[in-house]
Amino acid sequence: MERVLLVYEKILRKIGLEKFGNLIEIIRINDGPVNSLKKLTYYDDLKKGTLVGTDEFGNRYYNNNYYFFGRNRWVEYADHVGFNYDGSQVPPEWYGWLHYKTDYLPENDPTRPNYPWVLKPSENLTGTKAAYMCYSTTKPKIVVWTPQSKQKA
Amino acid sequence: MLRSSIQKAAKVSRRCVHIGNTNKAAVAKPSAEQTLLEVYIDDKKVLVEPGTTVLQAAALVGVEIPRFCYHERLAIAGNCRMCLVEIEKSPKPVAACAMPVMNGWRVKTNSEMTRKAREGVMEFLLVNHPLDCPICDQGGECDLQDQSMAFGSDRSRFTDIDFSGKRAVEDKDIGPLVKTIMTRCIHCTRCIRFASEVAGVDDLGTTGRGSDMQVGTYIEKMFLSELSGNVIDLCPVGALTSKPYSFTARPWETRKIESIDVLDAVGSNIVVSTRTNEVMRILPLLNEQVNEEWLADKSRFSYDGLKTQRLAFPMVKFDSGELKAVEWEDTLKHAAQALNNANGQIVGIAGPLVDAEALIAFKDLLNKLGSEHVYTENAFPLSGSGIDIRASYLFNSKIVGIEQADLVLLIGTNPRYDAPLINTRIRKSYVHNELDVALIGPKIDLTYDYEHLGNSASTVKDLISGSHPFNKRLAQAKKPLIILGAQQLKRSDGAALLAAVQQLAKKTAEISKVDASWKVFNLLQEAASQVAALDLGYKPGISNLKSLPAKVLYLLGADDSDVLKESIPTDTFVIYQGHHGETGAELADVIFPGVTYTEKQGTYVNTEGRAQQTLNAVTPPGYARTDWKILRALSEIAGKTLEYETLQEVRKRLEEVSPNLTSYGNVQESNFIAQATELSKSVKNNLESKPIDLKLKKLEDYFMTDVISRSSVTMSKCIQAVLKQKQNKYYDGVEK
Amino acid sequence: MALLKRSQNLLFSMNQFQFYLVKKGVTSSVTLHNKENTDNKAVDSVSGSNEVSSKNDKEYRPYSPFNVPLKRENLAEFVVARIDDVLNLARKNSLWPLTFGLACCAVEMMHIAAPRYDMDRFGMIFRASPRQADVLIVAGTVTNKMAPALRQIYEQMPNPKWVISMGSCANGGGYYHYSYAVVRGCDRIIPVDIYVPGCPPSAEALLYGLLLLQKKIKRIALIQKWYRK
Repeated sequence: MERVLLVYEKILRKIGLEKFGNLIEIIRINDGPVNSLKKLTYYDDLKKGTLVGTDEFGNRYYNNNYYFFGRNRWVEYADHVGFNYDGSQVPPEWYGWLHYKTDYLPENDPTRPNYPWVLKPSENLTGTKAAYMCYSTTKPKIVVWTPQSKQKA
Repeated sequence: MLRSSIQKAAKVSRRCVHIGNTNKAAVAKPSAEQTLLEVYIDDKKVLVEPGTTVLQAAALVGVEIPRFCYHERLAIAGNCRMCLVEIEKSPKPVAACAMPVMNGWRVKTNSEMTRKAREGVMEFLLVNHPLDCPICDQGGECDLQDQSMAFGSDRSRFTDIDFSGKRAVEDKDIGPLVKTIMTRCIHCTRCIRFASEVAGVDDLGTTGRGSDMQVGTYIEKMFLSELSGNVIDLCPVGALTSKPYSFTARPWETRKIESIDVLDAVGSNIVVSTRTNEVMRILPLLNEQVNEEWLADKSRFSYDGLKTQRLAFPMVKFDSGELKAVEWEDTLKHAAQALNNANGQIVGIAGPLVDAEALIAFKDLLNKLGSEHVYTENAFPLSGSGIDIRASYLFNSKIVGIEQADLVLLIGTNPRYDAPLINTRIRKSYVHNELDVALIGPKIDLTYDYEHLGNSASTVKDLISGSHPFNKRLAQAKKPLIILGAQQLKRSDGAALLAAVQQLAKKTAEISKVDASWKVFNLLQEAASQVAALDLGYKPGISNLKSLPAKVLYLLGADDSDVLKESIPTDTFVIYQGHHGETGAELADVIFPGVTYTEKQGTYVNTEGRAQQTLNAVTPPGYARTDWKILRALSEIAGKTLEYETLQEVRKRLEEVSPNLTSYGNVQESNFIAQATELSKSVKNNLESKPIDLKLKKLEDYFMTDVISRSSVTMSKCIQAVLKQKQNKYYDGVEK
Repeated sequence: MALLKRSQNLLFSMNQFQFYLVKKGVTSSVTLHNKENTDNKAVDSVSGSNEVSSKNDKEYRPYSPFNVPLKRENLAEFVVARIDDVLNLARKNSLWPLTFGLACCAVEMMHIAAPRYDMDRFGMIFRASPRQADVLIVAGTVTNKMAPALRQIYEQMPNPKWVISMGSCANGGGYYHYSYAVVRGCDRIIPVDIYVPGCPPSAEALLYGLLLLQKKIKRIALIQKWYRK
């Protein structure tokens, strides 16, 4: 039976129909055609891979060494951000893994220090009301009068 | 002493100035040639009057001879030797600045001998001049730099740096305004001559001779004068530089905007140097009619006051009694509501630094809101001719008129501190033209001798009746001037005093038989805004603020504590519009941030009645806006829209009210003086016996007189310096 | 990855003064400036950005930044908001940058066009003519000599146009800040939308800057502003 399957696969590969099988497999893994189309519109890409972890914000990280280096690790952003995903939503510990700084996953990375004072990562707030505004540290050219009417009462 | 010694030199130079004008006429009329001398400058023929120096003759044909010590407005010293030129058949080169020409002379200004002489002089100057141009504040506007480029040798023979080295001189501390680096001094003595001739303080001089010569103050003291800043401009090198400006900017990187000074009523022409939207310094601009090329210290150095204590945000007083910065829109709405609720019970007071555009918008707005109570801070009596005849509140003979006068009677004014540049004119005339001065008022130091006629106002009466001994002098005078200080009009008998002085002027004109075009009566204003305000029909001088129905008090730059300390009723809503936070802003319920004279294009009329305009040098700080634009916006929100939107339209409106306000740079001849005198007879009040007093008597009084100079750190340093000087054991007690 | 973005239509350029709302005193709502208070709720940009809600991190973020619910009474607003969405979608997905490489940053700028970063997948194609470009990427040191050319090129670009300042030199003079020959930041000459820090910024950083520009474009409320007028 196995031999038959192998031969069958060989034939499929010869005529290129195994790609079709892959497609069906990927669509199946990505929860059916509707969800697959959705992902395709979000990320312009549809892949299959092993889910290696999920971070606190709900971003999912995948790995599949079938794809070449540079495309074998990827992130699917949390569902609630929709189209408003952004590279800065990836927390720093996963950033390292995604960018091949390390092959360790965050939870078993021995080099990653875990200080109590480290703040929760925040995404880039530019363009929102909470955006960082730089301020001048130079001495102002004009000294503005400050009223002292409190004394007058 | 100075007067007689300078007389000779002055006569020469005066005649030379005359030559400049007559020469063209002489060329046109060959018959006049006999009296003129024929001189050839570089083979160019020029006809000059006898007594002209070679340098002046050369200037007539456009040949410029380099100079360091020579200055048009100072006596000739002839000690720098830079102006050496060759004269044909003369064995040695001749100093062009000091040598009067003789008939038939052929002057060679670019011969080999002249060139070598200049190179030699320049080399000697540079031997003892430090090579610190990169850290010198004069760099870029240094005569020595420029002239060594143009006339110096292209290489140096100076190798002696290790053995005897360069001359080094200790720096002197001559006050908070002028910084000295005496090693750079080339002993041109311009500063010394300026101090003794123009400023009238013999503080500066030289000690030692040869290479030990030093310019200094003999003993350790400060050079404190109200004109001290001018020595910075005069110094051809970087020996005297500006202390507040030191190391802040280079002349080639500043933007220069020609403007008008508003800190006194003279209206000096100034150049505002700005860089990165900041006023770096203020320099005088040449205007022979007004300030020549001088500038008073307050006008020159108080620019740091433009950067402190500024109102930059509209503010509103909250229920808690706290003033807080608020958006323009809300502030305007708040103020407009108060103005509309007042039912015309609005009193407006305009301060001393307000431009004519704001004044007209202010008056129009208040009139539209149903109020006629628009006042200025400075007094002027409305009885007699009042403000209907301009001649009664102007400096009628103009500032240049002082130079023709032969007798000046000052009544209740100290021009030295009220208007330093008018005082320099009087002193100039005193030194060069045998002008005599008399004063009614307290004894003060005017930098020249004067006859003191006591300090009683009744002296004016005696003069009118002819019983005073000074009447003889008035009768002898050919061109007498009477200058009345505007500050005296604040007196309770101000109207009577004005009327009396007007009549005295008429009588003087009669007994001395002056020309009909000569105007004897002059009023010296103190505030830059006063003449324009009176032209626009403001009521001068608010004295009875309490008795006025004021639901809203609108202060347009009015900070005079004398006026405001009269308790304002607690239910009065106070609007303050101005550029500095002071008395007025402290009282305010609403503050509109206005702009200073360096930040707007505004019209100011000086005490002569000369309309001049300031130009935008820097942008206003924060949310501050041009005053007339604020008033225009307020009028729209209050539902009483003013009809003008652009500066041109405002000025058209100014022209409607008073056409002289937009004729910039000109003085309209004042007339109807006789009628004004006639009307003044109707004033019945008698002069009081109380002695005439002056606001500014000493130098320390001079430096801080308005919001800008009061918030200037430099000016407070000046006062400190004057007070410290008085502690000096060498201080001679004479009020300098 | 702290990219700074300054909105072109900030109310007030002196940003040391921030704004906050008070509801007391003279008018019902008066905006005050207060240096100490860092709470700046009142910076009410036209964008109506809803990307980050501080209350709930997990709240669903809709595609459109214009939060106009479909109701009977504001049907017109809903329609113009959607028209804006479509317009912006078209604009942000065909950004054509102009090559304005001035220094080493230009090498990194080349990288984003190459296959590894491949900006073509976002619809971005480098153009060599300002007449065809939407985005000007100022990549490198702007010298005083180049300044007039930069301004001219900016003027030549058709509207709507955006500017990305790439690298320290373009942001503020960078290493050459104190040189007599260098413009201390290209924002002294042209208005900048996105500042990309770095010396030079990596191609990835520049790409991120371009993506942020897309986000910014998404907030243009052209038709809505017209309608509200």
